[in-house]
Amino acid sequence: MPMTLKNLLGLSLDAVAPDKAHIGKLLAAAERNLADARLQGLSTENRFDASYKAIMQLAMVALNANGYRTMTSKPGHHQTAIQTLPTSVGLAQNKVIVLDALRKQRNLSDYSGDLVSDAAAAECLASASDLLAHVRAWLAAHRPELL
Amino acid sequence: MHQSLPSLLFPEYRRRVLGLLLLRPDEALHGREIARRTGLPAGTITRELTKLAEVGLLKRTKRGNQQVYSADTSGPIYTELASILRKTSGLADVLVQALAPAATKLRLAFVFGSVARGEETAGSDVDVMLIGELGFREAVELLYPCQAILGREVNPKVFATPEFTEKAAAEPFLRDVLAKPKIFLIGNAHDLEELVGS
Repeated sequence: MPMTLKNLLGLSLDAVAPDKAHIGKLLAAAERNLADARLQGLSTENRFDASYKAIMQLAMVALNANGYRTMTSKPGHHQTAIQTLPTSVGLAQNKVIVLDALRKQRNLSDYSGDLVSDAAAAECLASASDLLAHVRAWLAAHRPELL
Repeated sequence: MHQSLPSLLFPEYRRRVLGLLLLRPDEALHGREIARRTGLPAGTITRELTKLAEVGLLKRTKRGNQQVYSADTSGPIYTELASILRKTSGLADVLVQALAPAATKLRLAFVFGSVARGEETAGSDVDVMLIGELGFREAVELLYPCQAILGREVNPKVFATPEFTEKAAAEPFLRDVLAKPKIFLIGNAHDLEELVGS
């Protein structure tokens, strides 16, 4: 059975009504985070974190626009948010693989104190910027009433 | 410290010989060549090779006036045994092959963490340090296929050479990595010492 968002209902997703105001707030927050991610005065770690937050906010936009949100009561909601991107907004699988590696990097730096390299921070910013453009274009094409 | 999975399953010599030949089923090698490539004494290896050929794990053939050994791929457990070796002692081989397209961009590559220490458990990830002019995306794309082969997640850490040199001495995460066991994939311990200037 192919993964649909519907068959994750109650397992890792809840149903919600798509909400233009909610999406507007998330997009604005993602843009603020992307601006912060470019601040050279910040540590590599904090620039990485700002980009990663933007990725999460954009994945939440993607789910909300389809009428879903992650169940934060369940472990792995970041993983769910990233791995549903091909279904929610048609993101290519090779991009999801990189986003998922960034998620693991974030876990390792948050919980084990692993050092974030410049290369990881640069990719996190590039991936987040790409996802912002992708999600905006998808909304414009498929759910223009939410923009 | 508990014993690592591969060393528990196979005695050291057997693991090295099988790791070399079963993961390169196209190669037929002479005893001396096997000794050289596994780093084992040539005298002892003949007995090991004979035993492995007798049970049908290896094939012994004549090439000119030399005996050469290769994996017996028609054996009943060849596929399964090769798979076990790939996931354990053959892990470095799998990673080296995956990194080959980027080898010229890499100054150093090594496995660190629990797998390098031989303390891995079923759920352990493989931590790979990559030092050189490689992007994080490229590293992820090269290593992603290894995850299915190894049955483990692979986490790349990508550092530019100057960044690594600058941070290695003072940064606690890198100091910890430097102090603990590694499995070198590209370059060796000497290259690493040169890089960190110790």
